[in-house]
Amino acid sequence: MNNRVPKSLPAEIRPSLFSGHDWIALAIVCLTFVIPFTSTNPQVLSQTNLILIAATAALGVYIMQRLDLMSFAVPSFMAIGGYTVALLSMKLQLTDVFVLAAAAFLMPALCAIPLGALILRLKGVYFVLVTFVLTEIVQLLLFEAGPITGGSNGLVGMPAVKIFGMELWDNPHVLLTTCGLAFVSFIVTSVFTRWFRSEFAAIETNDVLAESLGLAAWKYKAMAFSVAAGVSGLAGFALVNMLLTAHPSSFAPMSSVNYITYTIVGGKASILGTLIGALLLVSATDYFALSGEMSPGLFGLLIIVVTMVARGGVVGVVSGLLYRLAGQSPPLKNGEQDLGVNGEKGQ
Amino acid sequence: MESFIATGLIGISLGTQYTLLALGFTLIFGILGVVNFAHGGFYVMGGYVAYYCNVILGLPYPVAVLMAMLSMAALGWLFEAFILERVIEDHQATLMVTMGFYLVMATAILMIFGAESPQFPFPVTGVWRLGGIYFPYANMIVLGACLAAIVFVYWLVYRTNIGRGMRAMSEDLPVASALGMRTKALFPFAFALATGLAGGTGALVTPILALAPHVGDSVLAFSFLTVILGGLGSVTGATCAAFIVGLIEAYAAVYLGGSKGALTLFALVLIILVVRPQGLLGREVRRS
Repeated sequence: MNNRVPKSLPAEIRPSLFSGHDWIALAIVCLTFVIPFTSTNPQVLSQTNLILIAATAALGVYIMQRLDLMSFAVPSFMAIGGYTVALLSMKLQLTDVFVLAAAAFLMPALCAIPLGALILRLKGVYFVLVTFVLTEIVQLLLFEAGPITGGSNGLVGMPAVKIFGMELWDNPHVLLTTCGLAFVSFIVTSVFTRWFRSEFAAIETNDVLAESLGLAAWKYKAMAFSVAAGVSGLAGFALVNMLLTAHPSSFAPMSSVNYITYTIVGGKASILGTLIGALLLVSATDYFALSGEMSPGLFGLLIIVVTMVARGGVVGVVSGLLYRLAGQSPPLKNGEQDLGVNGEKGQ
Repeated sequence: MESFIATGLIGISLGTQYTLLALGFTLIFGILGVVNFAHGGFYVMGGYVAYYCNVILGLPYPVAVLMAMLSMAALGWLFEAFILERVIEDHQATLMVTMGFYLVMATAILMIFGAESPQFPFPVTGVWRLGGIYFPYANMIVLGACLAAIVFVYWLVYRTNIGRGMRAMSEDLPVASALGMRTKALFPFAFALATGLAGGTGALVTPILALAPHVGDSVLAFSFLTVILGGLGSVTGATCAAFIVGLIEAYAAVYLGGSKGALTLFALVLIILVVRPQGLLGREVRRS
């Protein structure tokens, strides 16, 4: 009897690196590169910028959701990434976009390692609360550490970033920078979450059981927390680059609610959901802004309605409908994929 | 020394206010398993209802406080019964729904009362003096009212059949349901009790502190701090933690100044969460 465990899956059933949803999300992000070259409308440029920054930030929530952890820490890591870029460009005159992007990713990712060692022992509602508290602490530190962060004034007057010596200073170029950062973030997130999807799925389903079966859950949680922090840092870079200012109010603790909302409303089970959620809700915010003071209320109402009506998020509901139209049985839970026999998530 | 004692009195006064907020928050989590992001909204709306009844309609202040409590309890009951109950099994959905409801409440306040802080003075002025110790009568009255409300909640939770039912559901929901506890009635009741407390606290406290559409954000943060410190779901833990938070905040504000008090508190809570995740008197961790 052959008891050998195969080292890898046979080629015909080996899961592909990217899922269908990943490809669609990446294609949409790629398409946004066209906008800076085809539009000079400030409204279009600004709106695309905001959507991409929101979607990039929401990726931090999406990554932690792979482990069944809801993180409110996104604004904290955005702040670390954003302030790192502002300090490097203002104090050290480092304006190369590649250097700044690397710094914006690495600094929050490195900060997340010791933080993760402390807080990743927690789960469930305690993880929710500790990440909320962490965001409050970072916000207070931004105000208190005036000599470094500029306190309540923030860091104003950032120089424009450069690529191969060329300044990216006007609106289309700022959007181009954001597109690049968003594309890198989506690639990193897709590769990372797909590469370790079986491990993440095991931890999400039952982390205690996964650990007892020999999976080093802490290692995957620490990696996920670190990558989520890095991606959030890139969103912070895009935000301060758009505003040319790093200010504490840009990283308010309650803004984490928005990033969570984008992920859940779009559909937390796929990366496409994050992008669709950001696209719909940022556009809705802009549309509701026409209603002036009513805007946040309409946004809140939309959150309630979508949560109650479309429990798997927009992408989950649409996927379910497509499954039914194709005559196939939908996933077990609306919007969430079932693990197949070979560990491949059905799409 | 007198300044130290006066600060301690302020800290105790703050502690009673935080107790009322934290009790409601922890009751909702303990019984329903819901982290209520709308809790700060009920506090603010309670303040505005009291302001409307007292300043606009000219009703006596105690009646205004009672109206705030009852109206927020009614709103909480309706919200739980018709919205939250439908997603109660999905904890992330409950987070989303309560977040959404907070936005709706904050906007409703903004639409009705405007962005400006209204003039809502406490009806009693003056200061009690003993040597060099000063303590405003307003704080004294609020302290007494809050203590009375805390005693009422303890009596309700520990001495009545409704309270026993709520505690039974908090301990083991399936067993409590099998034994005949009516979740359909007790869930909305527990939620209404909590939101009524939040509304009452808003009515009592906002004339002393501040009344504005977005003060609920900081209230939510301090409610979080208190229940984390005390242990989610623990009524006694929340009460102890509220006084600790109140005293630290008062002393840190006087002796450290600025936002260092809040920073000290948040850092303390972060350490406690890391060292003892279940808080001072908390129980087993629920999943989000």
